[in-house]
Amino acid sequence: MADIGKVRVRLPSSIKPGDIVRVRSLVIHPMERIERDSKGKIIDKKYLYIDRVVATYLGKTVAAFDTTQSVSENPTFVFTFRATDPGTLTITFHDTHGGKYEGTADVKFA
Amino acid sequence: MNDHSISRRLVITTLGALGLAGAGGLTLAPRRAHAQQLGQHETVDEALKRIFGARPMKDGSGVVKLDLPLIAENGAVVPVSVDVASPMTAANHVKAIYVVADKNRIPVVFRTTLGPEAGQAAIGATIRLGETGDVRAIVEQSDGTLLAVKREVKVTVGGCGG
Repeated sequence: MADIGKVRVRLPSSIKPGDIVRVRSLVIHPMERIERDSKGKIIDKKYLYIDRVVATYLGKTVAAFDTTQSVSENPTFVFTFRATDPGTLTITFHDTHGGKYEGTADVKFA
Repeated sequence: MNDHSISRRLVITTLGALGLAGAGGLTLAPRRAHAQQLGQHETVDEALKRIFGARPMKDGSGVVKLDLPLIAENGAVVPVSVDVASPMTAANHVKAIYVVADKNRIPVVFRTTLGPEAGQAAIGATIRLGETGDVRAIVEQSDGTLLAVKREVKVTVGGCGG
């Protein structure tokens, strides 16, 4: 799990001002599932999984996800935003152990 | 001399009280977070009741498009996407999209909060499905109406384990 927290953000190759841009983002994360002991009882511990994803563009939040353990390992998230000005799109993933992983993409107009 | 010892005692007790207050705050905060946790072990009815209460839900099949594979060979990674026909203006936009998997032990998969800046209400993610069952998308609009759609997905190998 050396790659934990690696973030990839993909934007379309050409963006025009005013376009609605579809973003795909991926984070490498184990997203621990519920574990049970031999009696089938749920082991009570602080499971390590991502519980919040926030995407900001030009200082504004464009989309946020509150996630649970029902989200897959190495999850991908897709969302859209309206590209008005050149700037940076930042996606931040927060996990339950306080981990914070960030990925950015430059919004440029061709 | 006497004065000095009193002031020291005062300082120590004040510090102690502060420390206690700090510790109390620390132990309270995670407990409160736990109570409000989105994902819990519950049935889907309990989950919907907990989140939406008795608010009426309309059928959103004309407006909301929920895209999922008909058969998920691997329940550990199932792509889901939700598309809502909405103008996404400040007055009329999609506020939140919930994805709920009926048969999962933790039925609420995720909640997306959107604003007019999103331009379009189209989101997607990869989720886990424990077994064959319905998957619902519940859309909360800015005026508070709830639109729900659901689709059955057949799962060959479950992905929730535990």
